[in-house]
Amino acid sequence: MLLLKRLFEYRELLYIFTWRHFTVRYRNTALGIVWAIIQPLVMMFLFTFLFTYVLKTGTGDIPKEVFFYASLLPWTFFSSSINYSTSSLVGNYGIITKIYFPREILPLSGILVAVIDLLIASVIYLFLLIIFKITLTFNVLWIIPIFILLFIFTMSCSFIFSCLNVYYRDVGLLTRFVVRLLFFASPVLYSIDSLSLKLKLLLFFNPLTFIIENMRRCVLEQRGVVLWQFAFAATLVIILFFFAHKLFIKTEKDFADVI
Amino acid sequence: MDKENLVELKNIWKKYKIIGKFKKSLRESISSFFKEKEEIEDDEFWALEDINLTLKKGECISIYGPNGSGKTTILKLISSITYPTKGEINIKGKVAPLISLGAGFHNDLTGRENILTNGSILGMSIKEIKEKEESIIEFSELDRKFIDMPVRKYSTGMNTRLGFSVAVHSTAEIILLDEILAVGDEKFREKCHEKIKELKETKSIILVSHHMDIVRSIVDRIVYIKKGKIVEEEEIKKESRQN
Repeated sequence: MLLLKRLFEYRELLYIFTWRHFTVRYRNTALGIVWAIIQPLVMMFLFTFLFTYVLKTGTGDIPKEVFFYASLLPWTFFSSSINYSTSSLVGNYGIITKIYFPREILPLSGILVAVIDLLIASVIYLFLLIIFKITLTFNVLWIIPIFILLFIFTMSCSFIFSCLNVYYRDVGLLTRFVVRLLFFASPVLYSIDSLSLKLKLLLFFNPLTFIIENMRRCVLEQRGVVLWQFAFAATLVIILFFFAHKLFIKTEKDFADVI
Repeated sequence: MDKENLVELKNIWKKYKIIGKFKKSLRESISSFFKEKEEIEDDEFWALEDINLTLKKGECISIYGPNGSGKTTILKLISSITYPTKGEINIKGKVAPLISLGAGFHNDLTGRENILTNGSILGMSIKEIKEKEESIIEFSELDRKFIDMPVRKYSTGMNTRLGFSVAVHSTAEIILLDEILAVGDEKFREKCHEKIKELKETKSIILVSHHMDIVRSIVDRIVYIKKGKIVEEEEIKKESRQN
C-alpha cells in the first residue's frame, strides 16, 4: 500500500509526533491519563441516568452501563480523532512551511494517541464486564478485524477533513456538527436490532453503524458477525480510504503555499 | 544527471498567487484542481523565472539578493516543501533545510525533549540523536540546569542557540542555511561561523545571508539573484578569502 510505503522511511518521525502529542496533552494536568477514562465514563453515567429515569427505554437484557460504555469506546475514539486531526495540518503551520515529510504523519499521530486513550479506557470496560458477569466467547475476537475497519475509516475521514481544512477553514466548523450528527446516526444510544429493515439498510451506509453495533454485539451478546455485512462495510471503508488518500496526496503539494 | 551534482534545478519557474482575504471560490478551486495552467493571470506573479542552479558535492554556494527576490523560494523548492510550476528538480541525498531554527519546538516540552523532536524532524534517527545529545547540549552552551526545563522558560537567544545546535548536528549531506548567521551574541556567532566552515569539509551547503563579508569568507561561489532571475554568478577564489 502506498501509505505504508510513504510512511516506512518516516516511521520514527510518526513515533516521535505521537509521543510528542501524547506528552504535551497530559503535561501540566493534575489528572493526566485519567482524562482518557473520564470522558466515556461520565457520558456512560449520563446516558444510564437519562434512559433509566427520563426516557425509560430499555437496552434489552444488557445492563445499560455496559451497553453504553461498549458503544462509547469506539465512538469516543472516532470523535476525538476527527476533532484533533481536522486542525492538525493548519495547527502545525510552522513545521509544514519549513520541512518536508509525508504530511499524513500529522493527522495519524492524533489518531494513534486516540488509540492509546482507547486502550486506557478499555481497562474500565474489563471491570464492567466482570462486575456485570458477562461471559465471553471466541466471538470476542471479531473485535480485532472490526477495530481495523474503524481505524481505516477514521483515518480516511481525517485525511479528507484535514486537507480540505487547509483550503477552507469552514471545514473545521463543519466537522464539529457533522460529528454531532453522526453521533445520532450511529448506534451509540440504541441498537439497530429494534429498527425496521428499511431504516437498517439506510443506516448501513454509515460504516460506523456496522462497526459500533458489532463491536458491542460480539462482546456483550456473544454473537458472531454476519459475513455479508462485514464485506459490505469493508468495501465501503476501503473505497473511501483510496479516495481520501488520493485527495490528500494530490493536495499535499500545495499545503505549504496555501496554508 | 551529472554524477557530481547533488542538486540540480533546470529551468525552474514558480508561480505564486497574490492572496487576498479569501483565497478562491469553491468553483474556481474545483476547476483548477483538474487543470494545471502554465500561463499567468492577473492575480499571479512569477516568483522565480527560468532558474538554473547546481550544487556539486562538497561545494558551498551562496544565493545573494535583496528581500523578496526568491532566495527562500529556491531553498523551499530544494527541500520539497513546495513544488515548481515548470521545470525539473533533481536531488541526490538527504536535505536538512535550516530555513528557520527550532522548527517544531514545543513550548511545553523540555530542552532535551525538543532536541529529540527537532532532530527527528530534521531527519535524524532516534539512535543518532541519543548519541549526539551530549554534544548538542554542549555546543548550545546552555546551562545544564536548563536542559530539563520547558523551553517556554528559555530566552529567545537560548532557543535559537539550541535550535542551531541541533541543526548543525544533522546527518544530511545537503544543508540549507537561510539567514541564520545572526544567531545569539557575538561570541556564539563567531562559533557558528567556525562551525559552518567545519561543516564545509564534509557537506554541501547553500547559504543565504545579507552579510557579504561573512559570505565571501566562507563560500566557493555566489549566485546573485534579482526579482526571481539569476543575474550573475561569481566564483570566489580561495586566495582572496579573508581568512
